[in-house]
Amino acid sequence: MKPSTRFMLPALFVVSAVAIAYQIVLMRVWSIAQWHHFAYMIISIAMLGFGAAGTILTLLREPLRGREAAGFRYSVLAFMVSLPLCYIAVQQIPFETFHLITQGDQWGWLFLLYLLMAIPFVLASACTTFALFLWPDRVGRVYAIDLLGSGSGAALVVGLLFWFSPAQLAYGLAIPVGIMALLQMMDGSRRYQVLAVTLIMIGAISVAVQGIVPIQVSDYKVLSYTLQFPDAKVVAVRHSPLSEATLVTSRQIRETPGQLGNYPFAEAGPLPEQAGIFFDGGAVSVVNRFDGDLSRLRFLEHVPPSVAYRVVHNPEVLVIGAGGGTDVLMALYHGAPEVTAAEVDPSVWPLIEAELATFSGYLYERPDVRTVLAEGRGLLRREGRRYDVIQIALLDAFNAAASGVYALSESYLYTREAIQLYYEHLKPGGVLSITRWLKTPPRDAIKMLATYIEALEASGIEKPGDHIAFIRSWNAATLLLSRDPWTDDQIDAIRDFAATRHFDIDWIPGLQTDEVNQFTILETPIYFEAALALLSPEREQFYRDYLFQVRPATDDRPHFFQFFKLDTLPRLIRDMGHTWVPFVEWGYIALWATILQGVLASLLLIVVPAILLHRRAATGGRGRWVLAYFCALGLAFMFLEIAFIQKLMLFLTYPIYAVAVVLASFLIFSGIGSLAADTLLRRYSSNGVWFHLPLIAVLLIGVFAVFYTLTLPMIFDTLAGAPDLVRISLSLLLVAPLAFCMGIPLPCGLQCVSRHFPAMVPWAWAINGVASVLGAALATLLAIHVGFRQLVWYAALIYVASLYAYWALARNQADAS
Amino acid sequence: MAGNARFKAVITLLLVTGLGPQSGVLAGEEDPFAEARERMVRETIELRDVSDPATLRAMRAVLRHEFVDPAMIRQAYADRPLPIGYGQTISQPYIVAFMTELLQVGPGDVALEIGAGSGYQAAVLAEIVDKVYTIEIVPQLAELSTERMERLGYDNVTVKEGDGYFGWEEHAPFDAIIVTAAATHIPPPLVEQLRPGARMVIPVGPPMQVQTLMLVEKDEEGQVRQRSLMPVRFVPLTGER
Repeated sequence: MKPSTRFMLPALFVVSAVAIAYQIVLMRVWSIAQWHHFAYMIISIAMLGFGAAGTILTLLREPLRGREAAGFRYSVLAFMVSLPLCYIAVQQIPFETFHLITQGDQWGWLFLLYLLMAIPFVLASACTTFALFLWPDRVGRVYAIDLLGSGSGAALVVGLLFWFSPAQLAYGLAIPVGIMALLQMMDGSRRYQVLAVTLIMIGAISVAVQGIVPIQVSDYKVLSYTLQFPDAKVVAVRHSPLSEATLVTSRQIRETPGQLGNYPFAEAGPLPEQAGIFFDGGAVSVVNRFDGDLSRLRFLEHVPPSVAYRVVHNPEVLVIGAGGGTDVLMALYHGAPEVTAAEVDPSVWPLIEAELATFSGYLYERPDVRTVLAEGRGLLRREGRRYDVIQIALLDAFNAAASGVYALSESYLYTREAIQLYYEHLKPGGVLSITRWLKTPPRDAIKMLATYIEALEASGIEKPGDHIAFIRSWNAATLLLSRDPWTDDQIDAIRDFAATRHFDIDWIPGLQTDEVNQFTILETPIYFEAALALLSPEREQFYRDYLFQVRPATDDRPHFFQFFKLDTLPRLIRDMGHTWVPFVEWGYIALWATILQGVLASLLLIVVPAILLHRRAATGGRGRWVLAYFCALGLAFMFLEIAFIQKLMLFLTYPIYAVAVVLASFLIFSGIGSLAADTLLRRYSSNGVWFHLPLIAVLLIGVFAVFYTLTLPMIFDTLAGAPDLVRISLSLLLVAPLAFCMGIPLPCGLQCVSRHFPAMVPWAWAINGVASVLGAALATLLAIHVGFRQLVWYAALIYVASLYAYWALARNQADAS
Repeated sequence: MAGNARFKAVITLLLVTGLGPQSGVLAGEEDPFAEARERMVRETIELRDVSDPATLRAMRAVLRHEFVDPAMIRQAYADRPLPIGYGQTISQPYIVAFMTELLQVGPGDVALEIGAGSGYQAAVLAEIVDKVYTIEIVPQLAELSTERMERLGYDNVTVKEGDGYFGWEEHAPFDAIIVTAAATHIPPPLVEQLRPGARMVIPVGPPMQVQTLMLVEKDEEGQVRQRSLMPVRFVPLTGER
């Protein structure tokens, strides 16, 4: 008797949705516990669990024959249990990134982390693999449900992260899976029914008794250190999909945007009391105690960014990344009649409003402060308004900046095109002010300077040096860009500001060698020398020769924080011996480590079973084509998905919407595409359809890819100011046809394999899973080095090349049949 | 007889190096790390251009293994920072030596340290100057340092639990200040408590890594200047062409 499969497809949908939601939740957990680049590395390896299940079940195909339905049910149940258990187990592991260098046992803990975190993904993938066994003639439909579930899960979890903490979700995601496990009871064995009820009850009682295990945060995070202050108190915690914002009060919190230059402490008194908002326990934005009396904020005259207010008086100001409001207060202190405060993180202001309204002096409710929850570029595009001062706050943490953890982050705030946009939105005489923490050896500020120069040139300015000023304290630099060439009065004001604050000037027009390196003395006046080189015809050579990557970031390669140069690594190691370690960009190294791990794991998960399958003569000699085809699809799909998510992020300007809308729509429309492919293949089983369906899909993918890369910049430029709804709808319209076509090739291949070599189906599934993980890491690497545009070309080429493997597979199959 | 010979050797060593009981080497006890410590000074400090005799003597004298977690005692003399808990580290020996040399202190001087941590840096300074005041904000670390200083006989070190931002006014001015917890700005009260002609050193960098040292100098007229110093031999920033 054929076992009942009622509720299995809904269960598969839920499992797929929860698996991707859990992945996003784990990324958040790791970003809070350690650092996000490391999170990326750990989650990638865990995701390889998707491949592992396919491999294991391929090898166990014969013993499992006839038990597929039971296998599916037990996998759902085990998946449910694994979600909270894996999270709890991981919190018990004493892993610490910074101890990897000094403590050998940390590598063992890291390995254990990998294994533990892979378990839920192995089980989720086992559900899919059992479904593939159960419906060998409908593999396209199984794939489609998997994609539709994943798409829905991605969209849903972004919403859930507004309401629940990642720790709560690590438990809570087990609920929908539990409901599915209960539904399976109707058709399951007695033993299954008893087990399911027992496990669910044990789980519910444990949570009720023990509560939720909190995330174990690294001791080295700024928040952990701050909480050791005797009077430190966590006032509130807010969650959003972007970050966990923790509000802490302590009299020992004293943060300024750069060095306090020559501050008359005895006369002006201590800084106002501050409360800190810590984002994921790392970057901190402070809220200053403010009673409405601006004269008590004299310290704001003595920090580098305040130089902007020496050259523009009573300005209308835009602060990008307003956070706790120090830069807003700085503008008000210097007489700004109106300040527009833009903030992208939705958790910041509600936190201040709810907990610190009186403390902050109702700063964000003042009539002269306009608050906009928006990303800076999007706001300027949408409103088209011009300002006297555009100030980008010092957004990242002082120490985090130095360790290079942001190397993989795209930042559309600091690209050449962004600077051009700010320039265009300055009123006559207006200035753009960006402050960056200084790194050793110098790189951030030099890259920012290069970006200013190239942006001004792209805007038609012949002498960019006449529009730029560069002020430096011991730990931060402020770079000013003026709409018009500096006047003599402005140059005098900058000189006076720097001299009285003991800041150095590294660039203003007419600066002489004997004027530089006066207060914070560097071994060589490297910033001044860099400015001279960048403003001379030697610029290209400077880019080539400099130890770090200081060529400006662009919208096509928006990785401002990536300074690593592969070709200078040998020089670094040769000249610095074992002391080179602190000087590399760890985010970038983690990316390579992810790829290396992925390759090693792939060998284990793909090649070993291939050899075993071959020994059993199950492959019919088609193994290599299966490998080539499913590997190509995994890589190309991820390349395109990541490239378009990036492009649309810039267009949608609000990253949460962008990621949710784009990722979900990509997966859902691909799911619809594979459903359509499945239906077509069933209805028209002639060889013509088998041959032509992927061909048509790939051709269309190629056409869309070419069309989009050529026209998207123009479309986005024209519609950048359109309302959110229009931009989101347009994004969906753009994604839909491309994703639909991208969903077709995989079910065609799976059907092909399933018809004649069913034992290889889970192996093919595993290959695709592993290639997707590798594809995501490779896509980031390629985007850093060649840009997103070329990434799209590569994806198109891989899709075209995959056709050869497909035809070889289909032809062999036709021969076989 | 062997014990007697060892006793004589220890006394001789004490006389030669001019160490008092501060060094913590108790008469008659064999120091199993003596060789490792000597190697540390010779190979990771002297070879990298730290040449101040007082600093080298202090680095030879202080029992670094007493300042690390017992679980990591075997790594105590390796040239690397080690975790001491609470997100803090004991700096690598070379950095400690380099910072101590930079301070240019000697007998008769009074030093202030902000961020006692394990107490190792304070002990090294205590071998050179008359008096070291050190402030630690983490209560557990402050307690641990106090207990360690007492046990090892550093009676010229005073540890205080508290906020180092305002310095220690009743003992000011200082001939040297060392600030181990890098803040976004140099606390102005510390600059004020620096004696004219004195120096302040601030190591800067992410946890477990020191990338640069800020040397703050106050000249005889009270004018303050900073110098950014690389603690490692540095690679040229641009290629040779």
